[in-house]
Amino acid sequence: MIEFSPEVANTVITTVSYIAAGAAMIAGVGPGVGMGFAAGKATSAVRRQPQARGPIITTMLLGQVISASTGIYSLVIAIFLIFGI
Amino acid sequence: MKDIDDPQKVQKEILKKTYLISLLPIISSLLAGEYDVTLGFIFGLVIATLLLRLKYNNIIRALSMEEESAEKFIRNRYFLEYALYFLVLVTAVRHARLNFLAAAVGLFMIKFVVISWSVIDLLKDTFQSKIDEYK
Repeated sequence: MIEFSPEVANTVITTVSYIAAGAAMIAGVGPGVGMGFAAGKATSAVRRQPQARGPIITTMLLGQVISASTGIYSLVIAIFLIFGI
Repeated sequence: MKDIDDPQKVQKEILKKTYLISLLPIISSLLAGEYDVTLGFIFGLVIATLLLRLKYNNIIRALSMEEESAEKFIRNRYFLEYALYFLVLVTAVRHARLNFLAAAVGLFMIKFVVISWSVIDLLKDTFQSKIDEYK
């Protein structure tokens, strides 16, 4: 069996955790794209039905608040991996 | 959600509920003497409140734009908000007097409240329809 010195093992662990943090950050891109798409559709919906502006804004606000949370989960995991808390 | 027509009222209601629920962890951490947890939680909660307000302002601005530019605008603003979240969390990690997990939970409090509010509304509606069917 191959045995690594503690320095080599630490370097490997640090490198792998940085790579994993980068991979976790990919999850932050999805909500941004989705939110932008929803905002575009909401804009055209308000153009079509101006009287429904209030419910559209409320729905969009709540939807954006919830959809942003998946991105922040990945951010928290990435920070855990980088700083090794 | 009664006042879905008025986003300002919904926002106020969400913040009121969030602060009410947040009193529990704040008071319990104060009683336990974990002041870093209290500070971290309050830090996260304040930033989450400000970001909710920012999000509302961005939505209002986006609604006056064309579809494509609104899409780009909201996407770019999301990435800016994401950078702000990153700065907040890194500050919580770096600062010894702020608990990182408490700051993260503080950031998530508004989302937890919105989800639980929706679930409670859904359950209420389901029970109400069952009662109406029974009558």
